[in-house]
Amino acid sequence: MIRTEEMLLNVGPQHPSTHGVFRLVIKIDGEIITEAKPVIGYLHRGTEKLAENLQYTQIIPYTDRMDYVSAMTTNYVFCHAVETLAGIEVPERAEYIRVISMELSRIASHLVWFGTFLLDLGAVSPFLFAFREREMILNFLNELTGARLTFNYMRVGGVKWDVPEGWLEKVKDFIPYMREQLSGYHNLAIGNEIVQSRLKGIGKYTPKEAISYSLSGANLRCTGIHSDVRKIKPYSIYEHFNFKEAIRNEGDCWSRLECRIEEISESLNIIEQAIEQFPKTGEILGKVPKIIKAPPGETYVSIESPRGEISCYIASDGKKEPYRVKFRRPSFHNLQILPKLLIGQNISNLIVILGAIDIILGEVDG
Amino acid sequence: MSGIAKGFQYTLNQLTKEKVTYDYPRKPIPLPDRFRGIQKFHPEKCIVCNQCMSICPTGCINLTGKKHPDPTKRGKIIDTYDLNFETCILCDLCTEVCPTGAITMTNNFELAEYSRDGLLKNLQWLDENDENIREESIL
Ligand code: SF4
Ligand code: SF4
Repeated sequence: MIRTEEMLLNVGPQHPSTHGVFRLVIKIDGEIITEAKPVIGYLHRGTEKLAENLQYTQIIPYTDRMDYVSAMTTNYVFCHAVETLAGIEVPERAEYIRVISMELSRIASHLVWFGTFLLDLGAVSPFLFAFREREMILNFLNELTGARLTFNYMRVGGVKWDVPEGWLEKVKDFIPYMREQLSGYHNLAIGNEIVQSRLKGIGKYTPKEAISYSLSGANLRCTGIHSDVRKIKPYSIYEHFNFKEAIRNEGDCWSRLECRIEEISESLNIIEQAIEQFPKTGEILGKVPKIIKAPPGETYVSIESPRGEISCYIASDGKKEPYRVKFRRPSFHNLQILPKLLIGQNISNLIVILGAIDIILGEVDG
Repeated sequence: MSGIAKGFQYTLNQLTKEKVTYDYPRKPIPLPDRFRGIQKFHPEKCIVCNQCMSICPTGCINLTGKKHPDPTKRGKIIDTYDLNFETCILCDLCTEVCPTGAITMTNNFELAEYSRDGLLKNLQWLDENDENIREESIL
């Protein structure tokens, strides 16, 4: 048998396919990976520590920068935690605006994932199509909040702006358009035999492994486990809507792709229902004092972000700054299974397996 | 192989569709009114309440006030107002808390400079920045 020398290879931190500043040190024997060690922390800004010296409202812009592809959900989890701790009521109209903007964010986030994931596989055109649709969503959110990515839109007790005139109609018109595009994606890439054979059976794990690695989101649901927080522990007004949880059983990269694509169409269903039920009048901000002081105590809330279960823990000692803030960041937890999945794989599957986990480095590093 | 053929067909169908790219920078990019560019400051409206300075999460506003020159009037007027745009994260909180609308957002976002010092904007610069000012107000 011919033996080749083991090679040490550094992937990243400036490699475009690592989707940010993620570094992976791998050992390869020929083309087979024998050891993999992720190195993280290049984007660590110490959000949690910074938050200890900031008032609650001032922390919201920092949450934008954690999961910068879907900042609405991170905005929401923090505001939701403060509202829970301080017992602040949120007006219904604000909740509807929040749900619509969060679901739009989720679609935008999955589109980024879909485009870049297939780009990693070597398919350039799906990326262009996915970003075309994402651009429309970003324009909606830009119109609503004044920013394309770092929205700083949610407030403790509501939202910052009311919806602009004609905005809901535009979003409503977008839904059938997006549905049509989704079926286009099936023709373009998802039904493509090469894509399927590159993904099916790759990066497989069992439900037990998924749970012991504390995975969440599509990474967990692809093994057949019901874990959508919107379903199992509804928050905001999600119980008003009729939607399905995307579940697959195979646990491979292909099933994760299917889960996320299905989530896009379910999000469209939620937005459609939310626009139908949207209250005509009402406040967008509840009764909150100008300087928010949470009563002494602690709280822990979790919601479903596009990447999985994101949670926020706040401990307060009654001051206007929190005593401690901690975020459970799904990308960070999901990434932990990577070394296990990579060992024994061909190097050409590395980027596919990493891509299918869907990490955002701002969230991994916190 | 039918999947690959369908993909080709989908791409071919797109050839006749309308262009979606912007002609930026040759044509200005359309931006919504709420868009956050660099701030505009109205010195005459400012009552030196310091709220913008204390809400700013990155601490990039520095201001000082002076006594009103008219001895019959009480209160202060603004003396210096410096905004360090290097650390401004455009969170929009300063314009949100300002009780008089003295600081507002504009749509101007093309702010590249050759030196870092150019990003330190003073009262005069912020006062003269009076194009594309946001119309909608949160007050
Ligand atoms: S936009 Fe935010 S960061 Fe910038 S000056 Fe205003 S408060 Fe400070
Ligand atoms: S909040 Fe407005 S009025 Fe008060 S100091 Fe700042 S700019 Fe002046």
